[in-house]
Amino acid sequence: MPASHSNPAPDLPIPIFQVSSKVERYLLYDINTVTWLRQKHNILGVLIGTLPQIPQQNVFLGLPLELQPEEARILVENGLGYIVNDLDWHTKELRSKSTAQIEAIKADLHKDGVEVARQLEKSRQNQARLARRKFRSNSSSSSSSDSAIGHNIKTRADESEETLFDNSSPQASTPTTFAPSNSDPKAWTITPATSYPLLSNPPRPKSPSLPEVNPCSYALFKHLHSQGYFITPGIRFGCQFSVYPGDPLRFHSHFLAMSADWDEEFGLLDLVGGGRLGTGVKKGWLIGGVEGKNTEQGALEEIESTGAAATRSNNHEARVRTFCIEWGGM
Amino acid sequence: MTIQTSTPAAAPQPSALTSYINANPSSGTHLQFYHTLALQILHNLQYQHEWTYLRIHTHSPLTKTLLPRPLLSGLPPHRIYVHPDDQVEELKRGGDPLKGEPEREWVLPTHLAEKWSLRRFGEVFDGIGEVPPTEAEEEIIGKEDVEGRWSRRERRGGKRVLLATLGDDSTVLYYIVHDGIVKPRQN
Repeated sequence: MPASHSNPAPDLPIPIFQVSSKVERYLLYDINTVTWLRQKHNILGVLIGTLPQIPQQNVFLGLPLELQPEEARILVENGLGYIVNDLDWHTKELRSKSTAQIEAIKADLHKDGVEVARQLEKSRQNQARLARRKFRSNSSSSSSSDSAIGHNIKTRADESEETLFDNSSPQASTPTTFAPSNSDPKAWTITPATSYPLLSNPPRPKSPSLPEVNPCSYALFKHLHSQGYFITPGIRFGCQFSVYPGDPLRFHSHFLAMSADWDEEFGLLDLVGGGRLGTGVKKGWLIGGVEGKNTEQGALEEIESTGAAATRSNNHEARVRTFCIEWGGM
Repeated sequence: MTIQTSTPAAAPQPSALTSYINANPSSGTHLQFYHTLALQILHNLQYQHEWTYLRIHTHSPLTKTLLPRPLLSGLPPHRIYVHPDDQVEELKRGGDPLKGEPEREWVLPTHLAEKWSLRRFGEVFDGIGEVPPTEAEEEIIGKEDVEGRWSRRERRGGKRVLLATLGDDSTVLYYIVHDGIVKPRQN
């Protein structure tokens, strides 16, 4: 297992799995990719994997990781990733595999499961042995200081040891006779998060497709991301994005961000409400969008057209302007 | 029962605000509505919040062009904004961040029923510098400020305005709007 603080870079570009051509949701299955993107590229996504039996348990979710469309888009634009149609790729690849290949993979998984079970059993026995040794040394040291009481404790300890450990290991002093180590423990069921051992890496498409995004919110997302901010969906806080100055595990968010078109009108009451909401939780209400010099030739329209044509070369660096609102305190 | 037929009474005395507005007619640069709005906010700042050195700006101190609407500037009785970094420094020194010297502030008068857009905020910020000039300073700016020493003075956090929003019941709400990304205060 790689150390969490120095994850090796995954093979670039990484495949980003679009569920299917009809479902525009972008998933990552590889934990190494997920942690690497978080550490090196401020891409957080949202863990959405839950236990089928307890789906309402949503505090500690696991793989897969769902990327926001903006995150998927920025990865593709920066050449770090490419979009793979998950359904098509799996159907096609699986069909090309022979039964023998699939059986081989299954056998491998079983072998891994056995290994996991064996390791677990081993660590359990180690723990039991350590606990017993500790217990003995405690009782023997107390017996040396006070023989009468110590003797009592020792006999009691021996008795309790027998009742506690009799079933699993009748002769604790001779570890070679441990019953479970001889027999094969029941294999664990391994559920791999990726399909890589079986399927080869998905091919890179010749013409990379860009994830569809709202040009207005994407511009703001890109601007904030380029400044080194970490961005999570803001729906829980009543905004579009919550913006963190560092990893959300270490920092509180600084801003509640909303994007708007340059000429999009909003009521001042929205601004007052947002400012008040942010200040109440020590955050700023941030509103931003692409600056358009005049209405006929807005930079925003440019982004829209280039986004559709998937050409980045003639996309002028549109200037994003942001405004932060805080309560005045008077 | 006799009905008392009173002689038509004289119109009630105009309120302090009305007389103030009547006494300060618009110079005609902006719509009357914007001028009256600015006066009402100015009145509120002066008498409810004890601001001093209040003045109305119709033209940008930077470009001398007409502002989208009249803006106010003035000196609050105490600091209304302390940048979080200054806040931390002051606390480390063992002082009270809000006890510092008050700074002149820009005030943007608005009405709650108005619709705003990013463009309109952008236009307001394009017309102002970081520190609002006093009347005396503006004269200097007009004559001998070649290096922009007065008009381009800087302060931590960059440009900011105090957004004053007037409600229909004469309530005025005050919010600070920064130009750009400025981290929030930890109050």
